[in-house]
Amino acid sequence: MEDTLKSILEQARTDVDGVRTRAQLEAFKAGLLGPNGSFTGVLKSIGGLPAKQRPAAGKLVNEVKQQIEALLDQARERIEKAEAAAQLGPPVDPTLPSPDGGPGTCHLLTRVCEEICTIFHKAGFVVAEGSEVETEYYCFDALNTPPDHPARDLHDTYYLPASVRFGNISKKREERYILRTHTSSVQIRTMLQQPPPLSIISPGRCFRRDTADATHSANFHQVEGLFVDRHVTVKDLRAILDYFVHQIFGKGARTRLRPSFFPFTEPSFEMDFNSPNLGKLSDRWIEIMGCGMVDPVVFEEVGYDPEQWTGYAFGMGIERIAMILHGIDDIRHFYQNDLRFLRQFA
Amino acid sequence: MKVSLDWLKRYLNLDDAADRLEQIFPLIGFDLEEVIRCGLSPLDKVVVGEVTAIAKHPGADKLSVCEVRISSRGKPQSIVCGASNFKTGDRVPVALPGAKLPGGAEIGRSKIRGIDSDGMMCSPSELGLGEEHEGLLILDGKPEIGTPIHEVFPGQDCVYDLDVTPNRPDCLSHIGIARELAAYLRIDFSYPKTNPRPDGPSAKQPLIEGLSVETPENCPHYLAYSIKGVKIGPSPDWLQSLLKAVGLRPINNVVDVTNFVLHELGQPLHAFDAKKIRGSRIIVRAARKGETITTLDDKKRVLDSEMTVIADAERALVIGGVMGSIDAEVDEGTTDIVLESAYFNPGNIRRTSRRLALSTDSSYRFERGVDPLGAEFAALRAIDLIIETTGGELAGPPLVEGKPPLRKVEIKLIPDYVRGVLGFPVDDLEIREVLEALQLKVSVHDEGRKKKSWSVSVPSFRGDLDRPIDLVEEFLRIYGCDKIPSSTVSMPGLLSNDDPVAIFNREMSAYLVGQHFHECKHYSMRAEAESRQWFSNSTADSLALDNPLTSEQTHLRASLLPGLLDAIKLNQSHRNNPRRLFECGHVFREHGGEVWEMVSAGFVLAQGPESQEWLAREAPDFFTALNFVNNLLSLAGVAAENMSYLPVRDIQPWQNGHAARAEVFEDGYEVELGLLDHSILKAWDIEGAVLAGAIYLSPEFLKRPAERKRYMPFSPFPSSTKDIALVVDSDTLSEQVRRDLQDNARKAAGKSFAVESVSVFDVYTGEGLPEGKKSIAFSLIFRAPNRTLTDTEVNKVFAKIQKGITSGTGYEVRS
Repeated sequence: MEDTLKSILEQARTDVDGVRTRAQLEAFKAGLLGPNGSFTGVLKSIGGLPAKQRPAAGKLVNEVKQQIEALLDQARERIEKAEAAAQLGPPVDPTLPSPDGGPGTCHLLTRVCEEICTIFHKAGFVVAEGSEVETEYYCFDALNTPPDHPARDLHDTYYLPASVRFGNISKKREERYILRTHTSSVQIRTMLQQPPPLSIISPGRCFRRDTADATHSANFHQVEGLFVDRHVTVKDLRAILDYFVHQIFGKGARTRLRPSFFPFTEPSFEMDFNSPNLGKLSDRWIEIMGCGMVDPVVFEEVGYDPEQWTGYAFGMGIERIAMILHGIDDIRHFYQNDLRFLRQFA
Repeated sequence: MKVSLDWLKRYLNLDDAADRLEQIFPLIGFDLEEVIRCGLSPLDKVVVGEVTAIAKHPGADKLSVCEVRISSRGKPQSIVCGASNFKTGDRVPVALPGAKLPGGAEIGRSKIRGIDSDGMMCSPSELGLGEEHEGLLILDGKPEIGTPIHEVFPGQDCVYDLDVTPNRPDCLSHIGIARELAAYLRIDFSYPKTNPRPDGPSAKQPLIEGLSVETPENCPHYLAYSIKGVKIGPSPDWLQSLLKAVGLRPINNVVDVTNFVLHELGQPLHAFDAKKIRGSRIIVRAARKGETITTLDDKKRVLDSEMTVIADAERALVIGGVMGSIDAEVDEGTTDIVLESAYFNPGNIRRTSRRLALSTDSSYRFERGVDPLGAEFAALRAIDLIIETTGGELAGPPLVEGKPPLRKVEIKLIPDYVRGVLGFPVDDLEIREVLEALQLKVSVHDEGRKKKSWSVSVPSFRGDLDRPIDLVEEFLRIYGCDKIPSSTVSMPGLLSNDDPVAIFNREMSAYLVGQHFHECKHYSMRAEAESRQWFSNSTADSLALDNPLTSEQTHLRASLLPGLLDAIKLNQSHRNNPRRLFECGHVFREHGGEVWEMVSAGFVLAQGPESQEWLAREAPDFFTALNFVNNLLSLAGVAAENMSYLPVRDIQPWQNGHAARAEVFEDGYEVELGLLDHSILKAWDIEGAVLAGAIYLSPEFLKRPAERKRYMPFSPFPSSTKDIALVVDSDTLSEQVRRDLQDNARKAAGKSFAVESVSVFDVYTGEGLPEGKKSIAFSLIFRAPNRTLTDTEVNKVFAKIQKGITSGTGYEVRS
């Protein structure tokens, strides 16, 4: 019997290599372990053995059965693998390109705007939004720029016809609607709604009636900041702006404030910076923003007591910052949307 | 405004500071637009030379060895040169060994790559004549060889084009700028001297008999001086060259003097030819409505009654403070003049100048505010110069109306306040010295008490100073903004969150970028023709700007899609293969006769010309766009199942049968999506189909208070599913059928269990169905909160549903 088992096992070991499909596996299994299987035949014959030989024979039979089952398991595994592989198709060539779209891109102005907002966010400023259509009051009058004020010359403003009514932009009186020339109007509306202290940053689109060229655009984007608290000083203003410049242009950047004039701040400054790593613009004083201490007249206009509250405000052009940061020489690139431009800043 | 260094030197000694003025001006508040250098100071050993031969340098590609003649006799110099903008025969400045150039470079005999060089040929920047430093300065007009170069560029001067901010009209003159420099440099400066003139009775009589001012509110002070016997001719050289330096054209001695005084003192003056004044009277009055005048620029101007004119008995001679007319012009035949010096109300001048679109040196100063005390001094200064240059004489006392509109300003200033605003320490003495250097008078009160207070008196020309904060600014400006110390940021914590609109925009961009879209930005203004093509005339009308600048930008955008089509077009023509583009921004939607500013996102999926891909993908379709739109809405908290989309018909820019919109404007949002109409694509000349979608949300909707969601319990028991196919008319909207079925199912199930969902899983038309019909197959899912449903109970309800849904609806169950 031992010999028979051995030869069954030998045969099975040889035959198993030919098993390629599930059907073949079933037939192979039946040929061994089925009712008429060769192994089953041996198993049945154990009953005819003398009682003394039976335990040894039983042990042997079990061992062989385990080996057969192991063979079957191996075969099954091999077949399953082959089937799965057949479903997968041929192996991929990983050097082929994906036919699905590549990465999308945020517009550079969005990225730079977010970067600026994030820097100020860390310092405690939150984003305030406003409308692009504004009224003369919120854009000029409330900012200490009455109609006869020569400073209105600084803005060449788009007006809307007197007959147009806006559903969700409130007027103070019967003043005209305009396209905002700066986002300072957001500061006025925020101060009218919230009591001090506050620290806001207002990014957004602004408009000037300007002929487009490499550095001028009738549409442009600004970020303006406003901080109102007790005992805010010129020194604090310098500190926040230095922090910003170092964050965005690197630690090596130097800054300077120059006296300037805005109707809504006093004292008013222009801020320049100077950086060693800006390519063509390296080591030159470059004007990047206007700023100053909020004029007491503005506080009075929004109902803040100028004896108690002080603050600073600043504003910068996002296009200008982006152009300096990335060495872009023509502002029109931002609005032409050539994919070769857009994709560069993914 | 242009100021000349030579001119400034008349009032203060700038010998030590002249080189630094370029740096100083921006530091005291005057942005420097441009520096124009003219002329050269005497330079030793720099002469005119002529290039007679050019040869390549044997040892360097970019150098040449030139022969340059510097005298008519003698042998030429051999000079090695790196520039390439010249040719044989050109005359150029040559710095000979021993020359010292303005920049400090000293020229010696040298060897350059082994070749002797007897000097250097110079570029404009090497001589201090401009920025150009790449090429040589090629001299025009063949100046004599050997001439010292400064003789070719005589009259050395430096002209600064300064940006004077609107609050500083006192600096719109050389004396004003000199005053500022004197304060900053702490040096002396002096006003020009004038000769005393009689203002009492005199032997001579004025040239005109009367002066009257009918509108003293617009002209509070008017002086008219008579000068007889002037001889009109060209001005002396010194006067001409100063005027030319600041960009003025010399005209004749009288006019030149009035222009000179305007630029010297900032006070505009006007000279009349006395013989042309009819009726021997000067009347300052309001213009008559429709009155016309031909101004010196030869333009006929129509005036209105808010404008002020200087008239004689018959006609207007001058638009007061703005411009004179040709009728009383001083010309070669003039012998007697009347000189006007006056103060005009700034607001009135500004309105006049705006309304006439006429801005002059005179109106520019009056509208910003000239020194109220300055009229008489300027007149005396001009009279001296007119007499000096024309040989005339003053005739009688001036005719005077009104008096200087002076307001006395005393500001109470507490030095601690200055330090409080600045946030860093400065001494009382420093503050006081700066204010005094600016010609302010400081008197100290209550010296003994703890809180010191000063009384600061402001000179008449500083109309911009009347509050303590103004003095802080003045102090800091002259003290030096560079002295503001650096420090670290100290801020209170964040007390609120970013505006919901900002957050939403961020989320929308992030989502679309994640779906392979490229973000674009377009102008907010679009062309009228396009607005009329896309929207109704009344909508287009409500979006028009009042004062557009160009015909391409006349209307506010009501949609982001036209811009995105521009981007597809541009990128297709550049063969950039544009596929997915989007933009987020504000748009303007007309609704119920009002315009609403809305937050919007728009996207386009361009099919483009057939492009070959090695692996084919299914093209996007309407439902691709629908998915994007629904996902964008969900970022704003709008659930897709609450949207009721309706097909659009005959609405630009959409293709009939392949687009939809949903509008819940009252709630604050609108949506539209689908295929763009063929005619639109043709108008843009775009290849291939374009799918588009746009959502519009009001900022108010985005800012609505967030609702905190309550937990809804759900059943632990399995659901039971039944399918049903209904045959309906082809044009019936599936959502209608689905809702009918859902209502029906809920009614049938009653309270026994829940109809969890009714959803479409197949739509079929064609074989086996009658013409004009389609079959929609739905899955109904039932579930009970407390048990596993049995087949019996579900079948019973399902039978009811099958019966109910067909009765009265026109739907049939497909077997």
